Amino acid sequence: MSAPAAPVVGPTDVEPEEEEKTQSTFARLWFQHYDLVILPAIIVLVLGFLLIYVSTRELDTIEQRVLAPANVFGLLRQHLLLAALSTILVLIIAVPVGILLSRRAARRVQGPVLAIGGFAQALPPFGVLLLMAFAFDFGVTTAVIGLTLAALLPVLRNTVIGLQQVDQSLIEAARGMGMSSRQTLFRVELPLAVPVIVAGLRVALVLNVGTATLASYIGAGGLGELVQQALRLNRINVLLVAGGIIAAVALLIDWLAGVAERVVVARSG
Amino acid sequence: MNYLDYLASNSQQILFLTQAHFLVVLIAVGVGSAISIALGLALSTGEPDPPRLSFDWFAAGIREGGLVFTAALLTVPSLALFALFLPFTGLGVTTAVVVLTIYTLYTVLRNTVAGLTTVDRAVLESARGLGYSRIRRLLTIQLPLAWPVILNGIRVTTLISISIAVVGAVVQGPGLGILLINGISRIGAANSFYQVLTGTLFCLVVAAVFEIFFAIVQRLTVPRGIRV
Amino acid sequence: MSDTSDQTVVETPHGAGKSDMIVLEGVEKIYPGSTQPAVSQLDLAIPQGDIVMLIGPSGCGKTTTLKMINRLIEPTSGRILLDGKDVTHVNGDQLRREIGYVIQQGGLFPHFSIADNIGVVPKMLGWDKQRIRERADELLHLVGLEPSVFRDRYPRQLSGGQQQRIGVARALAADPPVMLMDEPFGAIDPITRDRLQDEFLEIQRTVGKTIAFVTHDLQEAVKLGDKIAVFATGRLEQYDDPDTILTRPANEFVSDFVGGGAAVRRLSLVELAHLELHPIETDERAVGGHNGTAVAEVDGSGKPVSWRHLPGGDAAGMPLVTVPISGSVYDAVDVMLDGCASIVAVVDEEGRAQGVLHWNDLLGGLRTRERHS
Repeated sequence: MSAPAAPVVGPTDVEPEEEEKTQSTFARLWFQHYDLVILPAIIVLVLGFLLIYVSTRELDTIEQRVLAPANVFGLLRQHLLLAALSTILVLIIAVPVGILLSRRAARRVQGPVLAIGGFAQALPPFGVLLLMAFAFDFGVTTAVIGLTLAALLPVLRNTVIGLQQVDQSLIEAARGMGMSSRQTLFRVELPLAVPVIVAGLRVALVLNVGTATLASYIGAGGLGELVQQALRLNRINVLLVAGGIIAAVALLIDWLAGVAERVVVARSG
Repeated sequence: MNYLDYLASNSQQILFLTQAHFLVVLIAVGVGSAISIALGLALSTGEPDPPRLSFDWFAAGIREGGLVFTAALLTVPSLALFALFLPFTGLGVTTAVVVLTIYTLYTVLRNTVAGLTTVDRAVLESARGLGYSRIRRLLTIQLPLAWPVILNGIRVTTLISISIAVVGAVVQGPGLGILLINGISRIGAANSFYQVLTGTLFCLVVAAVFEIFFAIVQRLTVPRGIRV
Repeated sequence: MSDTSDQTVVETPHGAGKSDMIVLEGVEKIYPGSTQPAVSQLDLAIPQGDIVMLIGPSGCGKTTTLKMINRLIEPTSGRILLDGKDVTHVNGDQLRREIGYVIQQGGLFPHFSIADNIGVVPKMLGWDKQRIRERADELLHLVGLEPSVFRDRYPRQLSGGQQQRIGVARALAADPPVMLMDEPFGAIDPITRDRLQDEFLEIQRTVGKTIAFVTHDLQEAVKLGDKIAVFATGRLEQYDDPDTILTRPANEFVSDFVGGGAAVRRLSLVELAHLELHPIETDERAVGGHNGTAVAEVDGSGKPVSWRHLPGGDAAGMPLVTVPISGSVYDAVDVMLDGCASIVAVVDEEGRAQGVLHWNDLLGGLRTRERHS
């Protein structure tokens, strides 16, 4: 799944004939961020629909057992753990490598890395995850390694592209004022790159939450287990609930990451 | 039995699954792109900042809402979407195609909108000034100029779809995912590793075919004056 | 073509004898969400064949006014007459096909070849291919670009100045009687701009269009305009010929806007051809020293190269500088300052001396002679 890239903004060199209204802070916040309300609304809608659906059904004992809160929450905890661990690993690896690649010395490697990273979007994370099971063993550790590997290139690619877009003139200005390349990196480039890094976090999270649903196929649990059981037991009700829960969790996490991203971007101007 | 032997003795099955994979992605991307481009064109406003409460303003609102919605769909894990559609569209090709199509929407729509709205304002303004009607402007100026961006969106969404399509095997969709499911369920048995490996790597083969295809399409359809 | 709207026009001191091609009557524009009109109660008449420069500080409504003429911006109220016909409510796209339009960055279509760019309006008007191609070649010639070289190129292969020439050619393609130009030379470097302005005047001499031209550059307005309309926050402050604007600003706003440089700018209005110059003798004819007449030595082709005698001055220490007679007094002053000379020889197209202009003329005599022009 691709990274939601920054929206492209058109040139705005209009004649200054438009009026400027002073709005209350709340109204301004609302106009800037009203889209943030859409997602939670969808999540609530989906979950509400599910709840109503399930409550109108007579669940048999198998369904009741699978959908028991203890079972669902256990799997959810596993799921979040998988996603969190792999995301941390991805960030620890991909961000420093991305920064290294954006150094002047590594500029030449950048192009090929971006090209390979782009092409590797076609490499299925599901396949990478399963291959890990052959290399190691079934289980959580293997799943975390597989998830990390699968998300590595996309996040690396995103980081490199993001760093490329950091305003080159500012870096030049810093160098022009006599900052060493090291000072420029730590005092100009990295602070400017914070939004990029946060965006990378979001991409990694979304990818890993998604791929973690497949971890159940190598015995690492997670919410995918619900789908697998539903398919195995041929229980439509469980299937719908499982799909709904997974979707809601993924959307919620992406939403949280999105909010965090916006806060960080707003802070760093 | 080494890998090459495996490939040789199963070449027919592998070829068949690769073709199926290719076709499923092709159909989904084709349908999804058609929907997205049509939507992008229908909701295009020509100007980035339409005045409040005009038709354009509503169109812009629907467009932005559509982008947020399709972007959200893209973050839903594929397994969940396959599970949610299964009761309605059944096991097999239909579910796979429908879900894949949904995943293609966002990238193409985003690039269509971006491509159409970032056309140089001076160009649009002079087109208006020379008496181009709105439709003519959209189809003969904005669309050709946005086309490279749109085409790139289709390309990226194709690559993503190739990797998502393997999950379709969970709901008995066609394609290379079948090798993955077979392999993992027979882990330890002969060739199970090769199956998973093939299912994964041949996605790149499918991707390579598409990349060549897109390079040709780009060569043929991007107007000469804006080719890089 | 005589229309009754003349009476409603407030100021048309020099419009007599020509019918008005573009007439704005009580035109007003209030942008949605704004209470202040961007243009309020504007009456303006542009005589046929004239170049009228719309000028003023940014946000003064000059661009809005221009765009209301071809209804890129719909007026809130008022009437717009084109060649006596009310066009306030006709189909805007059809209207615009009959009005040439040139904007700052040229606005050429990057995916169209140069010939196709020039041919957009004729194509919409249903001309056949052969005629469109011939017209494109004709116009390329007119704007000084060789058709065989430029016809099949694309805009990005052209320099800014060339692109702007194509922009003008494109606006002229269907031979519209009216052209609207929105700071066409605004984004071009000063040297190229100056050349484009000269070429533009040259073209206008052959095509004789009625032109409304937005600019923020007073120099440009004075150089190109038959008349200048000075705008301030949505109101027309003064509408007159350039000389009147410079010498007799109607109010404080206009005189502020015209600014301190007015006297110097006016020099560019005075064409050397209209001046009575001091006589000049060349050494071929003159032998003795006529005390009151300048004598220059000429080369084989009759071009003056140095001074032999200057009235009451040191001929040996004075460099001989020349200015073409097609130029203005401004050009003559420029040449004198540049060459550290207090006298300049005015030459014709072949480079032969026609007369001389003294620095002192600027201080004394010029004003009286200027009335001649």
